[in-house]
Amino acid sequence: MNSFDHDVAIIGSGPAGIAAATALSKAGIKDVVVYEREAEVGGIPRHTHHPSFGLLVFKRPMSGPSFVRAIRKRCRGVRFETKTTITAIRAGGELDIATPTGIRTLRARHIILATGARETPRHARLISGLRPTGITTTGALQQFIYGTKAKPFKRPVIVGTELVSFSALWTLRTAEIKAVAMIEQNSRITAYRPASLFARILGVPIYYGATISDISDIKKLKEITIETANTGRQKIACDGVIFSGMFTGENTIARTSHLALNPATQLPQVDQYWISSDPVVSVIGNATHPADMGDQCYQEGLKAGKNVAVRLAGGIEAVCPILKINHDNNIKMTTPNIVRLNGSDTPFDICLHVNKPFTGPVCVSSEGRILFQKNLRCMPARRVKLKNVRLGSCKTDVNQTLNISLGHPN
Amino acid sequence: MANRNRNKVSKVTGSILPWDVIVIGGGVIGCAITRRFALLGAKTLLLERGSDILSGASKANSAILHTGFDAPKNSLELACMQAGHREYLDINTRLNLPVLKTGALVVAWHETQLAQLDKIVAKAHNNGVEDVALISKSDLQRREPNLSGNALGAVEVPREFVIDPWSAPLAYLTQAVRAGAEYRFNTEITSGKYDGKHWRLSAEERHFTGRFVINCTGTNGDNIEQICRQPEFDIRPRKGQFLVYDKSAANLIKSIILPVPTPTTKGVVLTRTAFGNLLVGPTAEEQTDRWNAPVDQAALQGLKDIGETMLPELSQHEVTATYAGLRPATGSNEYQINAEAQKNWIGVNGIRSTGLTSALGVAAYVENLLLKTYPDITNFGPVNQPDWPQMPMLAETETRAYQRGDGSEIVCHCERVTRREIEQAMTSDVPAECLGGLRRRTRAMMGRCNGFYCSARVDELSKGKISPPLAGDQI
Repeated sequence: MNSFDHDVAIIGSGPAGIAAATALSKAGIKDVVVYEREAEVGGIPRHTHHPSFGLLVFKRPMSGPSFVRAIRKRCRGVRFETKTTITAIRAGGELDIATPTGIRTLRARHIILATGARETPRHARLISGLRPTGITTTGALQQFIYGTKAKPFKRPVIVGTELVSFSALWTLRTAEIKAVAMIEQNSRITAYRPASLFARILGVPIYYGATISDISDIKKLKEITIETANTGRQKIACDGVIFSGMFTGENTIARTSHLALNPATQLPQVDQYWISSDPVVSVIGNATHPADMGDQCYQEGLKAGKNVAVRLAGGIEAVCPILKINHDNNIKMTTPNIVRLNGSDTPFDICLHVNKPFTGPVCVSSEGRILFQKNLRCMPARRVKLKNVRLGSCKTDVNQTLNISLGHPN
Repeated sequence: MANRNRNKVSKVTGSILPWDVIVIGGGVIGCAITRRFALLGAKTLLLERGSDILSGASKANSAILHTGFDAPKNSLELACMQAGHREYLDINTRLNLPVLKTGALVVAWHETQLAQLDKIVAKAHNNGVEDVALISKSDLQRREPNLSGNALGAVEVPREFVIDPWSAPLAYLTQAVRAGAEYRFNTEITSGKYDGKHWRLSAEERHFTGRFVINCTGTNGDNIEQICRQPEFDIRPRKGQFLVYDKSAANLIKSIILPVPTPTTKGVVLTRTAFGNLLVGPTAEEQTDRWNAPVDQAALQGLKDIGETMLPELSQHEVTATYAGLRPATGSNEYQINAEAQKNWIGVNGIRSTGLTSALGVAAYVENLLLKTYPDITNFGPVNQPDWPQMPMLAETETRAYQRGDGSEIVCHCERVTRREIEQAMTSDVPAECLGGLRRRTRAMMGRCNGFYCSARVDELSKGKISPPLAGDQI
């Protein structure tokens, strides 16, 4: 079969993509290419300069750019092509790739989508008001501050209190920009509680139970109106709003392709090997679980890459029955979101995100039989990992579903 | 290049020239009229209050090229819409402007609406739109399988099309500029005097002298009209809010889905856009503010609910943009276009919500009106071989720059806008001078991420060329 241009084409050069490439190369797969649409390799960590990387992979805190350099060093024998956008994928391992010279079509024996995640911006949140300049996201802010060294505003408000929201606070601090306030719709911050200390030290008030009800001014932002349960409406003078967090998978390629989506989450369907509904396409990293830490994506990418190498060697029977994973509304998503029944009872991990805080037993069950149970503390926007889940005796019956529940299944 | 240089020079000396025609208002109507008179050989100047064309009512609409099937019968609006529809299809390929020949379906959602379909067909035929016909519920389901099963039947309007609402007016003005017309942005006319021969219009310290003035100021039409005469109408701005869904949703429908109209509004429309998105809107809300059209969460949520009722699968797709526009409605349901013969003034007012369709028709009508009203003094030398500028193609259905390969990388990933497209938008005949202008010319930052990926890069590319800049001080 010489009609393939590459053994593996990886789309996206963030931590997950680089890791998959590293694992494939180590496993002896010769022709691995990573396509990156930006001018530089690295994904989101490129412009995340605070030390929230490296702890799991290198056992020390690192900035995003250092982390990228370090994982790049480990990735040998792989070709990276930047300024290259994949515009479509099709069955049979086909990809349309756009470069400055136009579009062409290639074929790879296996495709790995590692396209990452982005924050939910203003419009998708249906925020009221006008549209002056100064409305942005943490991702865009960091590209300004660390990339082009420009200040989009002088006294912004941060919407959200996820980890990334405090990352925005950190970024502002390095540019000597003082945030005016943080706005959280719930009664506590979404990140670990101590993070709020950071805001307090910087003198940034956090408004709880608050939402933006108006953005005024047509050209340059001067103030917003917020609404809180306790104090009602109030105006906050500011010249910028940073919509932080509420990550969503950057899944345009998957969504406009032949790949199946999970009906509940609209995220690409992936099994315990990160293989999608098409056996020659894997989806890895934050594209399937928006959004986990860079280190977590890296570790996942290594495993997923290894699985692809095994599959290419004929080791994973990809065409086999699948078991659906169901969960209640308190769970936002799980990865994998299906299980492939290929006859083996190899244990696998299930990662999940919750919608509401929960402390107690997280259970995996089938037909009322509990296959896995562990007491865990679950917080929104943070990964919860169920380690070494085994299917046991339900492994061959496709009519069953795997149910994941916070608390004991009913 | 020659044009641009002359443009720059005369931006300083422009007020000295006695213009043949001064058009106030750079909406779609003003752009089309400027084109018409420039091609007629008149020295034409367009004055715009905002920092780009389309800063007012023309900024936000549903981007449909209408047939006039439901317009008031025998109205000027109908005549202009039909002439505009015809001329657009006559010139669009020469200007590299897209047209999506989707057709429309007026869908009845309950029995009372179903009973009105016959009347809609009869009215359309009466309006000269002969190809309008009733289709059955099963035909409708076959053609639009994703529509809710509650749809009871429909009227098919084959020649309702989707166009690019920003590139079209830009093309009109660009062609005008190539024929010698000029324009000034950030120029708000607040007063004017007619000395029996010339108008002297003033925008603070700056003055513009011309023989004829054409008022196309949309939502400010009645105020500007007062410079010449007491208007016989008043503008009652009507706000329309819209939701734009991501490109994954565009294929859910093939045709434009129109509701059965009421006397005041066409109601909520579902349509694809030229850019490959799906649009739901507008609302129809009376307001007094002529300039600002804020969106509000409750109304947007309401549109979302309506959209999902008609097209249930929409709930699985992301909203990528929200916007609101103002329609320059008057108390009347007819356009208010007339000349003040003694004062060399033509008012073009009350162009409601049909301006994008009718603009070229209105321009032809106004030209005719001027030549008829002033037969002795209007002898311009028409441009023999007009230049046909090739507009950048932004429609998803045509070959875009990134597909052709223009030697530069993609900067805006959501809308796949290349670096060169962004650069060219700021050096064209009518370059973008503000962020909105740049966005409308290229689609940069208009996609699902709202600039998450490309804001900093767009800022870098546009630094010093647009005002206000995306980001201010350097660190």
